[in-house]
Amino acid sequence: MKTANQNVTATMLVNDALKKAEFFKDYNIFTSLYKDAALKKAAKIDERIKNGEPVGRLAGVPFAAKDNFLVKDTITTASAHILEPFEAPITSTVVEQLEKEGAILIGKVNLDAFAHGSSTENSYFGPTLNAYDKERVAGGSSGGSAVAVALDIVEFTTGSDTGGSIRQPASFNGVYGLKPTYGATSRYGVVSMASSLDVNGFFTKTPEDLDLLMSICAHRDEKDLTTLPDFYEESEAKPIKTVGIVKDFDNDAVDPEIRTALKAKCEELKKKGIDIVELDMPTLKYALAVYYIIQPAEVASNLSRYDGIRYGFRSENATNLDDLYGNTRNEGFMKENKRRIMIGNFVLSSGFYDAYFLKAAKARTLLIEEYKKAFEKCDVILAPVSPNPAFRLGEKVNDPVAMYMEDIMSVSINLAGIPGLAIPAGKTASGLPIGLQVLGPRRSDKTIIKFAEEIR
Amino acid sequence: MEITREDLKHLADLSNFSLPEEEMDSLQNDLDGIVKYISELSELNTDGVEPTYQVFEMDNVWRDDEIKTQDANREELLNLTVEEKENQIKVPKVL
Amino acid sequence: MKYIPTIGIECHVQLATKTKLFSEVDNDARGKEPNSCVSPVDYALPGMLPRLNGEAVRFAIRAGHAMNCVINPKSRFDRKHYFYPDSPKGYQITQFFHPIIGEGFVELPNGTKIRIEHAHLEGDAGKLTHFSNYSLVDLNRVDTPLIEIVSMPDIHSAADARDYCKELWRLMTFAKVSYGDLYNGNMRFDVNVSIAPEGSDKLGTRTETKNLNSFRSIERAVEYEIKRQTKLLEAGETIRQETRGWNDATGESTPQRSKEEAKDYRYMPEPDLPPLNLSEEFINAALENFPLMPSDYRAKFTGIIPADTLEVLLDHANLVEKLAELSSPSAIKRIANLFASVLLAEENFSLLNDDLPSATQLNDLAEMLDKNELSSTGGKEVFIKFFDPEMHFKATREIAKELGVVQENDLGALEAIVDAVLAKPETQKAQEDYKNGEQKVIGFLVGQVMKESHGKANPSAVQEILRKKLA
Repeated sequence: MKTANQNVTATMLVNDALKKAEFFKDYNIFTSLYKDAALKKAAKIDERIKNGEPVGRLAGVPFAAKDNFLVKDTITTASAHILEPFEAPITSTVVEQLEKEGAILIGKVNLDAFAHGSSTENSYFGPTLNAYDKERVAGGSSGGSAVAVALDIVEFTTGSDTGGSIRQPASFNGVYGLKPTYGATSRYGVVSMASSLDVNGFFTKTPEDLDLLMSICAHRDEKDLTTLPDFYEESEAKPIKTVGIVKDFDNDAVDPEIRTALKAKCEELKKKGIDIVELDMPTLKYALAVYYIIQPAEVASNLSRYDGIRYGFRSENATNLDDLYGNTRNEGFMKENKRRIMIGNFVLSSGFYDAYFLKAAKARTLLIEEYKKAFEKCDVILAPVSPNPAFRLGEKVNDPVAMYMEDIMSVSINLAGIPGLAIPAGKTASGLPIGLQVLGPRRSDKTIIKFAEEIR
Repeated sequence: MEITREDLKHLADLSNFSLPEEEMDSLQNDLDGIVKYISELSELNTDGVEPTYQVFEMDNVWRDDEIKTQDANREELLNLTVEEKENQIKVPKVL
Repeated sequence: MKYIPTIGIECHVQLATKTKLFSEVDNDARGKEPNSCVSPVDYALPGMLPRLNGEAVRFAIRAGHAMNCVINPKSRFDRKHYFYPDSPKGYQITQFFHPIIGEGFVELPNGTKIRIEHAHLEGDAGKLTHFSNYSLVDLNRVDTPLIEIVSMPDIHSAADARDYCKELWRLMTFAKVSYGDLYNGNMRFDVNVSIAPEGSDKLGTRTETKNLNSFRSIERAVEYEIKRQTKLLEAGETIRQETRGWNDATGESTPQRSKEEAKDYRYMPEPDLPPLNLSEEFINAALENFPLMPSDYRAKFTGIIPADTLEVLLDHANLVEKLAELSSPSAIKRIANLFASVLLAEENFSLLNDDLPSATQLNDLAEMLDKNELSSTGGKEVFIKFFDPEMHFKATREIAKELGVVQENDLGALEAIVDAVLAKPETQKAQEDYKNGEQKVIGFLVGQVMKESHGKANPSAVQEILRKKLA
């Protein structure tokens, strides 16, 4: 990570990032930019450096946050109409941790509204374009975060991953994307999607940068009771002797070029003396159905608070309370938000709870056990992130089930709460990035990051 | 399981969406497809399996009973609402 | 036909923790400005997560213990969804399905046992004030910790319903888990009433009268409902299962608007809060120094304090606690009498909010009364002065002296005064009359002696001396 010093000042770094943000405007990456505030912060850091005062580990490093991270005195949109206008009076823990180390927030970046989607096409502000092909999607939901790093606008970005929202856009844009162990980073001040699945993580150009960011952010937070006691900094990377390959992911539904990339990577590993073992994980084929029950249920619940009463958008057509609710929520949510909220209310409603929500919660137990068994046979798992490279804009946006299939290899990781790291693994013949994900047991975040360094 | 127009209206009610008629066809079609897909889970045998609702493997996490300054005060919070009156949030009448 | 009423009661108790259930803001909003006790968590900003108050867990354990309930080591929270401006999150966080407090019972003063089905921790809702064409929302009360106590349908009369609620109120205040301020809604009661023909083994259709907040209104509402249902059944009509609202001014209840279909709350396990899995040590530690309960006081004071006086005193935990500190049964008896006759007299109600006298002051007072150093009137005067800010720190004897109400009991000194009075010409006629058998003139003579002693003589001692001297 390039930090500021006497010669390369924070002001230069920030100006450079802002210039690039402007240059790549047509990719529709940023939902807002904080030019003046960022330059002011940069000047302060430069002053400290000039005076020989200590600065943080991210001194002067420009970054962008996914626009579901609340930052005091900035607009947070979650790329949804229903939050307009919303100027948060508080700052999310992760952004606070980063700023404390001298990182400078230059702006917020686009996502699928409320992080519902796999392409960033569900944004109220329109889609973000793929860094390698402007006809194609950025992936999602953290599309803006991935493209901002891929186009080298900023050194790193924050993202949130509920079912693949960091790993899939990272793989579509050829950058690293880490979804940490559930509870490793704080969720305080980040717009909740599905509480038992949501994890905040990062996009970078190197695994080393991820290691640094995790050292800074993977800490217990008293404002989020589901954060784990500190483990990252003290943990040791485990040497990798055996890598598992999931048989159930190796089928015709996966793009041949991705399967080839995975095989090539395995050959490389074998040459390094690493054993490859095949894993039978028969429950995995149900993971997507489990995910599209549990996730919408929690979404429906978490999005109940958006009602036009205390903040955000309130419909003009609201002469009585019933209309205030019904019209605000109808006009304020995107179509995909509505689908998920309604599906969530379906699986929780009386008469269907046992067959759907409870059944999915039980299946989740089986998935967790399956991963535990898998990690008895191997140190880490290497798998595709998604069945295909970046697809064309508009290709799937009107077919929700087709869009959900994008998540088929990423969601089980969230259901099990284990860490997953998307790594670049070459390109297709037509030049689109291919990504693979490295998976490890809970709290093995350092192991998978170090492994990514080794196999770069 | 098929999602009927009546189901759709019931779910819109539970979700508190005043859905316009023209949105209903496509949503009904979408939800029907999604419910068909997630219904495949019924194939999986989960007899005798305990459900999992959370994956952080901790219990008894709580805080002390001490008053603390909060990250935002009343003024900052009420500033966010569309209509305020006498330090309260104003909403249209309840029918 | 005779109908037997069956009554079950749900009681919401606001816990008197310093902070709210899920955020570190002041939990006691009484007399505070609207929305001044609201955190970003209570306001349900995006990305806010509940932060469980450990003290509320301890309070719940103590509340459960007060009701002889099993404490469940494992409990967890669910979300109960509904849209209303009093619910910023769009759901209430409640332990309804997996409560911390299990089965138990409450014993009424008349010995009837009412079983407790369970009691659970949950967050309270905010408050709406309605105006002609708008409403105002105050979120001060949002997520004040509550326990909801659910009784079994073991109650069969309006009087028992009242007594049960009152006993719950005593238990919660004695256990110090609630301020028990009914006027400010610290405890609120929902009563479920049904009636069935005597001998029937089936319960009738029940109605629920919600949000009662005085013992009198509970009794009246139950009485009203029993009468209303009896009238309907006798007229051959059926009873509708419904929620009713009580109007204390008219003494009537009316059905509340309800949606035609039953509400679907879509309960879901709360993913933002870890479950509770309490160890025996933790539960025992929470019960350390558990105070005496009304039934303990009844056992302790029976035979010392008359039962009806004791029941009156049991409405005031601080009074019976003080009595338990006193050194002897006779002191307890005397002071209990003063508490009941002086402190609980309407004109002195305000004193109840003040600090009570110390056990030493009260023990001394009882002793002076025992030794006739104070008349009962003098005793009351001293007792009242304990509450005088100028006096309350002074010793009992000091106060009595300042008031000049210490009685002269020294027989030698009294005899001298009596002799002086008997020597006075104006008493000669009375002495004659007494000797001639007119017993009642002794009162006049005692009065003369009292006058001579400036009221300090002990009148019964004076009478004794006079009788001897004139015999």
